[in-house]
Amino acid sequence: MANNIIINHVSKSFEDVRALNDISFRSSPGVNIILGPNGAGKSTLLRCIAGLYKPDSGSIRVLGKEPYYDNTLKQRMSFLSENYALYDYLSVKDNLIFFGKLYGMSEGEIIEKATETLKRLDAYEFIERKVYTLSRGTKQKIAFCRATLNDPEILLLDEPTAFLDQQSSEEIRKSVQEYERMHRTVLLVTQRINEVARYNARLLILNKGRIVNDSKTTDIYKSMLSGSSISIRLAKPLKNSVAASISGFISSNGVSYGNMLRFKIRNYKEVNKIIASLIENGAYIVSIDYAEPLVENIFGKGARDEF
Amino acid sequence: MNFEKSYIIAIKDMKEVFSSTAIYGPMIGIPIFFAIVLPLMTVYVALHAAPSIAARIVSMPVLPGSSISSVKFMVFFSVNILGTIFLTIPIITASVIAADSFAGEKERKTAEALLSSPASNSELLLGKILASLIPTIVLTVLVFAIYGIVTNILSSNAFGVDVLPTPSWLMMLLLSPFLAVAAISVVVLISSHVRGIKEAQQLSSLLVLPIIILPFASIAGFANLSVRFFAYSIIALAIVDAIILWVSIKGFKREALL
Repeated sequence: MANNIIINHVSKSFEDVRALNDISFRSSPGVNIILGPNGAGKSTLLRCIAGLYKPDSGSIRVLGKEPYYDNTLKQRMSFLSENYALYDYLSVKDNLIFFGKLYGMSEGEIIEKATETLKRLDAYEFIERKVYTLSRGTKQKIAFCRATLNDPEILLLDEPTAFLDQQSSEEIRKSVQEYERMHRTVLLVTQRINEVARYNARLLILNKGRIVNDSKTTDIYKSMLSGSSISIRLAKPLKNSVAASISGFISSNGVSYGNMLRFKIRNYKEVNKIIASLIENGAYIVSIDYAEPLVENIFGKGARDEF
Repeated sequence: MNFEKSYIIAIKDMKEVFSSTAIYGPMIGIPIFFAIVLPLMTVYVALHAAPSIAARIVSMPVLPGSSISSVKFMVFFSVNILGTIFLTIPIITASVIAADSFAGEKERKTAEALLSSPASNSELLLGKILASLIPTIVLTVLVFAIYGIVTNILSSNAFGVDVLPTPSWLMMLLLSPFLAVAAISVVVLISSHVRGIKEAQQLSSLLVLPIIILPFASIAGFANLSVRFFAYSIIALAIVDAIILWVSIKGFKREALL
């Protein structure tokens, strides 16, 4: 099915706070990322899709069924919440066996699947440990293992790499991409632009309970680097007067010579021009970095109005 | 409805409760302690002060030098006073476990994974009710048994007779599961309105109040804790349980645990 998740005019409020405001979208096959600042309604949307919340109005259909009412759907879907949702006083193994059994798996199947995932995430050594003794990052790995136990057709992930180190985050991304290759639907919620940039996927921007932009993750640099600044580190210092002759120059880290230069850019295309000018002037580039803007500032009022 | 899922949930909840000594330690330790200590106190009073006390609370002539009043006092005290106090065990135990099971999911934010699993509302509720009910019944029977054995050992040594069980005392034991179900139903009913375990425990523990009145009512002569009294109590409580449980299950919303 092309659109496994279909959301039509969904709204959800908590007392006076409107968390979701008339949201409509159809998921694409593969990875769909929802980006938004704190309080944008990302987790609420995911919980509605997981069938935990009943929308106040509108409809949600997942694989043709209503998640709030149809429990059989949950056999084919999985939800990784941002707070792990593991039982602290049970061991990792008992947690995984408990959830696996609810999905109708045998203990042997659960252990086999869990062993494979935990080894890949470098967390197998913790299988007999009580959950409360583990770090946040390890809990997140266990929770990811739990969420993928049933090989779901629909995988809902709320900040799956928030507390993970680089290597473990990469393993989770690989798993997510594997789901994409199997033509399954992944809905991933994050507020970290850095995370978004690592996927080639559909990108929905959520702000104040509304979808304000629907594009591709590859488009994010268009908005992100507009009016931003970049820092360029050079192998050898360059004369400030030479750097100042390049369009957009802001500052150097030295009085007359500097090897850390800052440039203001209007769009991502200007990065190449600045680099070309520096190379022409005999500079050797070691690294280029950009100041990551707050997610609130990327797709602000203009984008919402445009949408 | 898949009973296996309810069983899996019940086992998980029981494992969780009994993995924390902070929860099960006082819950088991205190009733067992009282089941041993209270008969000792009863027999002491029966031996040394029973004729005069018994004359006041049990309407019978005091025969100086006779142990009849002491035995009668021991029976009365063991059943009408301490027996009724032990009826608070099923309420308190069920409240503690049910509050941990329902409100605990909310407090520890563990419900999201459980609610997004294929377990239905009825499977979830049955699992959690069983997780509260089974240990409560086991503990209550255990405490009544210890209390009965200790009381009999002491009374047979002191007076040469076994005081327990009496028909009223056995009816009390029969009443216990109904009290436990009432406490669990109240927790289910209030689980959507409380924020944590303590609130749920405090509210459901209010059910002990009518039980605590019983020994005083018995001493004052307002209540005759006979077999008939407990039979009527069981019938009344079964009806009340069915109503509260039905209302709780009907009104239960998955969001209540989030």
